[in-house]
Amino acid sequence: MEFGLLQQQWNTQNALRPADDNMGDVMVIGGGISGIQSALDLSADGYKVYLVEKSPTVGGKMSQLDKTFPTNDCSMCIESPKFIETDRAPNIQLLTYTDVDSVEGQPGDFTVTVLKKPRYVNADKCTGCTTCVARCPVKIPDPFNQEMSLAKAVHIYFAQAVPLVTYIDDSCLFLKDKTCGICQGVCENDAIDFGQKAEKVKIKVGAIILSPGYETFNPLPRNDYGYGVFKNVVTSMDFERLLCSTGPDEGQILRPSDHKHPNKIAWIHCVGSRQVNPSGGNSYCSAVCCSYTQKQVILAKDHLPDLHAKIFHNDIRSYGKDFERFYQRAQKLPDVHFVRSYVSVGSEDPVSGDVSIRYTTPDGVVEEFFELVVLSVGLVPPKDAQRFSKVFGIELNQHGFCKVEPFNPLQTSRPGIFTSGAFQGPMDIPESVMGASGAGAQAANLLKSRRGQLSTDRVYPPEKDVSQDEAKIGVFVCRCGANIGSVVDVPGVAEYAKGLPGVVHVEDSMFACATNTAQAISDTIRDKGLNRVVIAACTPRTLEPLFRDTLREAGMNQYYIDMANIREHCSWVHSKEKEAATAKSKDLVRMSVARVGELEPLDEFSLPVDKNALVIGGGVAGMTSAHTLAEQGYETYLIEKASDLGGVASRLHFTLEGMDVQSFLKELKKKVYRHPKIHILLDASITHVDGYVGNFTTTVKSKGRTRTIKHGAAIIATGASEYRPTEYLYGQSEQVMTLLEMEGKLAAQEEKLLAAQNVVMIQCVGCRNADRNYCARVCCSGTMKNALKMKELRPEVEIYVLFRDIRTYGFRENYYLKAAHQNVKFIRYESDDQPQLESIKQGGRSVIRVTALDPILDKKLELDADAIVLAAAVIPAEGSADLARMFKVPLGPDGFFQEAHLKLRPVDFAAEGVYLCGTAQYPKHLSETITQAYGAAGRALTLLSNDTVTASGAVCSVTPRDCVSCGACISVCTYGAISFEDTPGGKKAVVNSVLCKGDGLCVAKCPTAAISLSHFTDDEVFTQIDAALAEI
Amino acid sequence: METVAPQKEIIDAVKAAGGDAFKSCYQCGMCDTVCPWNRVHRFSMRKLVREATFGLTEIDSEDIWRCTTCGKCPQVCPRDVRQIESGVALRRIATEYDVFAGAAAPIPGIAANLRAEGNPFGEARSKRADWAKGLGVKRFEEGMEVMYSPGCYLSYDPRGKKIAKATVEILQAAGVNFGILGTDESCCGESIRKTGDENLFRTLARSNIAQLVANGVRKILVSSPHCYHSFKNEYPEFMVHFEVVHITEFIHQLITDGRLKLTKPVAKNVTYHDPCYLGRHNGIFEQPRQALMAVPGLQLTEMAENRKNSFCCGGGGGRIWMETPKGERFSDLRLEQAAATGAQVLVTACPYCITNFEDSRLGRADGGASIEIKDMTEIIREAI
Repeated sequence: MEFGLLQQQWNTQNALRPADDNMGDVMVIGGGISGIQSALDLSADGYKVYLVEKSPTVGGKMSQLDKTFPTNDCSMCIESPKFIETDRAPNIQLLTYTDVDSVEGQPGDFTVTVLKKPRYVNADKCTGCTTCVARCPVKIPDPFNQEMSLAKAVHIYFAQAVPLVTYIDDSCLFLKDKTCGICQGVCENDAIDFGQKAEKVKIKVGAIILSPGYETFNPLPRNDYGYGVFKNVVTSMDFERLLCSTGPDEGQILRPSDHKHPNKIAWIHCVGSRQVNPSGGNSYCSAVCCSYTQKQVILAKDHLPDLHAKIFHNDIRSYGKDFERFYQRAQKLPDVHFVRSYVSVGSEDPVSGDVSIRYTTPDGVVEEFFELVVLSVGLVPPKDAQRFSKVFGIELNQHGFCKVEPFNPLQTSRPGIFTSGAFQGPMDIPESVMGASGAGAQAANLLKSRRGQLSTDRVYPPEKDVSQDEAKIGVFVCRCGANIGSVVDVPGVAEYAKGLPGVVHVEDSMFACATNTAQAISDTIRDKGLNRVVIAACTPRTLEPLFRDTLREAGMNQYYIDMANIREHCSWVHSKEKEAATAKSKDLVRMSVARVGELEPLDEFSLPVDKNALVIGGGVAGMTSAHTLAEQGYETYLIEKASDLGGVASRLHFTLEGMDVQSFLKELKKKVYRHPKIHILLDASITHVDGYVGNFTTTVKSKGRTRTIKHGAAIIATGASEYRPTEYLYGQSEQVMTLLEMEGKLAAQEEKLLAAQNVVMIQCVGCRNADRNYCARVCCSGTMKNALKMKELRPEVEIYVLFRDIRTYGFRENYYLKAAHQNVKFIRYESDDQPQLESIKQGGRSVIRVTALDPILDKKLELDADAIVLAAAVIPAEGSADLARMFKVPLGPDGFFQEAHLKLRPVDFAAEGVYLCGTAQYPKHLSETITQAYGAAGRALTLLSNDTVTASGAVCSVTPRDCVSCGACISVCTYGAISFEDTPGGKKAVVNSVLCKGDGLCVAKCPTAAISLSHFTDDEVFTQIDAALAEI
Repeated sequence: METVAPQKEIIDAVKAAGGDAFKSCYQCGMCDTVCPWNRVHRFSMRKLVREATFGLTEIDSEDIWRCTTCGKCPQVCPRDVRQIESGVALRRIATEYDVFAGAAAPIPGIAANLRAEGNPFGEARSKRADWAKGLGVKRFEEGMEVMYSPGCYLSYDPRGKKIAKATVEILQAAGVNFGILGTDESCCGESIRKTGDENLFRTLARSNIAQLVANGVRKILVSSPHCYHSFKNEYPEFMVHFEVVHITEFIHQLITDGRLKLTKPVAKNVTYHDPCYLGRHNGIFEQPRQALMAVPGLQLTEMAENRKNSFCCGGGGGRIWMETPKGERFSDLRLEQAAATGAQVLVTACPYCITNFEDSRLGRADGGASIEIKDMTEIIREAI
């Protein structure tokens, strides 16, 4: 690549970018996944965002993870497209390697002084070529790899860094004593600038979102479990880097002492969490460790098939969506053992380096040696928490995390400053993402009068018409670190590609998704006049949108690309057969090359957006999202099937934290009923839904009248129900009630309940079983809540809780401790040995005798209860299936609505224009519902803020002449995109291109080949098949 | 399988006796994994806690007497169950009912001796100061630098008397102006309190405090970590506040101040055992080590389980008075650990540890030839 040419292109690009005027709408502090999501949403809404990140690149902790639970998606693969999206969004000003110095002002008018730290590299000139890195003589422990490997003093934080610019660490010899300067000498673009100084810049914004994330608990100060003393004791984040192909050993799990594969690994749960003693730890539960440990076990088993794994715990907190199944998946792996026991570390074998662990079993204490010990460390507040508290003037809670309003977890103690992500407390990625959209929505509401004023549109270079030109194909083969490169002979495939017809340029790279490579692809297209691109790399599901965008940046129609999946479809599934995998890769590339030559340019559709919204469900979720949208000025229709708003919250009186739900609900209902832009339909049912994103038509029957509502977006907030038990004498005895029923009685201070001497509460009723293989998430906390309330009203009552795992995750763990302090007794039972209940009369009293085995005493405990409370499962609402069908959205395996992507699109559906929040998505706490409702509103705003929405060009169309009106296509289309139209030639099938998702089922069904799918035409597919068979 | 119902009266009794913290337990098992008993026998502190939580404690079980109060489990317990206080609560109930099962059988006799003669051996109070005869030891007078309290073992036990002698020789060599209370002093009461005899402890404490006040004592120098613990941490319950210093701290200070000069080499390879009540319970780890390292020619090797991970000798909690069958003695295990370091001498600073280790030493295969047991004062004395 000609550097001169590159320099010219960079300079032109920068000259076109106007100098920033340091004035924006929102500043987002923290460029992890949460900050990125807020920035992208606000940018799409038409607000100008400053995204400030203290490290040299965006990405945060998620960029250090190998895979994410419970989908086991490659973390960088799903996160990095968002980096580039952030970089390319004209409304986002990215300020990396920048700290916040001070904040003044008030909501709507803040002045933030940021401190731009000196990289000693000129970001405008650096191309990320890494020549300086190669030549730098100073090695430092690599912070990205948990200091387990070495990086150079000048380096790029990681390959997919945005911006792709190096930075120079303080260990640089020139910075220390002006010796060296090699980097300056070798840089062809004169980008090294040792004269750089820290720069303070004052930026004016209207609102601030804090998302600085978290830190992992550091076991070094206390040498927990021998960490820092025994070499082969590592933290889970260390292990995450070992697993990752971009890690210290390129994805080989090699233990610290001798770099051998460990075949016996122990994972220790709750390191630094769930403890009030010894000092230096935290009392709360860190919420994500149980699941991330299961993930590490599953991945480790994949890397090391002979692995013997023992996981030591005291309750498995698998409370989230798909978590329970993920747990079972780990349990079922061969030679993987979950042991219920906390442990103490024994000794280090001086010869082998193995570390011994002592744990309890039913047969006594066992000491066992392991080759590697992984500490599942908890989450603690981010390093800057205390400083931010002073700088931003916000309060922190008792644990040092951001204090939030009880009924608005996205609002800090200072108006105008919002928060999202783990700064509020330990949480997983979906929570961080939905909170980010929610914080964005609230910031947008604050600044609604300014929307669009500072916004800039994205401008692509004009598209060149290459449809008449001969195909000039560029093939880019990616190694994906060791993922592809360690199995497939990538240079060999590249060499092979050179000989394929039409191929004029071949390149191989370490990471095609890496920022510089993406840029290089754009440049190569222009330099070499390519008009077709084949990317031989990973699945199109992760990065196809990124590469399509890259083509547009290069002035090419975005449909002129094909991805040959040589990772998921090759190296990952044939990891033990290198030769065969390489041959297959060549086949796949040959097929793609053949296909790409046949591809046609396609246009995407721009559709108008109807600026009304429809919210289905008038509970807290529906009301919150409807109110948020209405505040932005959008007419919002709120549909509720009951005669009043409120939903299940009408039956809630107090939260674990002691908040008054009824008064909150009353205020919320009042706000909603009175809002001029919210139109409420009660006693309503939906009879029909038509249309597509931006243009829905929904027919609603309410109080005898039928109305048709036109709306651009829909939010499903239909809630959930309480399981009505058939077990444990429910329905047969008046003394047996559910948790919700108990709450009602406690609120009413019902005499009979308060007269009870003994209360037995049974967990996991109706779930975590064959019928419902999921955890209902809220019941353990609900039980603590009710038990504490009862103790408050009647301190002498004896309360027993029969549980399988106590799942009081996050800060709720504190209430588990509180309940124990108040003498609530906890007895564990196994799923195959459930408590036995018998209704009897004992000394003139009607009691229910509960018999349960206590595993510690190894005796059966007999409890005579006056009241039995069943933690009945949260189940999907009735009518979910019908609603799902009408909106053409899916339900998951447990009957809750299925979001587009469990991790990164937790409130979207795959079908655009429809959003989801509340317990309709999955059981959750009231505060989580509120967060998600703001999140769904935030996402809906990104649609409603724009006048048009774009739909894909890869859709089906019918050649009327060939259509025989058989209707097979209509019957098979799940999106209802095809219908019959009357034409002079008779009834002919017609495809609504906006509804069409391009899956091609109709094409397969059509007996006369009248219907075809753009981008997958018969010619294109047959060419690909011919190419596949060519070498046979 | 047996079916039982929780016993509220017993739960209440346990709480009243000081065992309220049992309720916090969440059955994680951490206590069992660190308990020294599980290295020689099978014992579950977790089960004891669970039984007490439901009022199902059997006070005629020998298990409630096993705990040596070494402190390993409360040190790690995530829920702060305070196993020692809670365990003593059970023993208080047993004591009240006069039930001393299994190895605890000698306890009533010990209590009787303490009441009668102010020492567990039952030897005459009048002989309490006999160890000091001919050593030039003065009676304590107000204004002296320290009051030296050797404790019962150093006063009466033959092995202990050697330590007391070495101690006074060190103090005299350093020119320390000290005195003893002799027969006016009684047992500190720390260990009998741990067996659940709260009344006897109070009697002994009050008596001692009266003597301390009457004699104008301000600073107490002790040899036993158990006395140290009791005077420092438990006597303040009676609203008194004496300054208490352990001999290892004191010697370290004397060396640092230049008052004690160690000039004779002791060319031995030694390993130091942290007594539970000096180390884990009271945080004194470094002074004994630094004092030893000031001895010319001495080589100090550490055992793996050192400082706050030190492995109990088995003497605390009143178990020094109880019979532990061979094969279940913690000190046997600990002595092997010491020998495995290659050390010629196992040095420690507690009379219970010395007693147990000497016993274990005799039980070794070579009859104890390859390793000696010494108190820190005995090593320091050799270096003067």
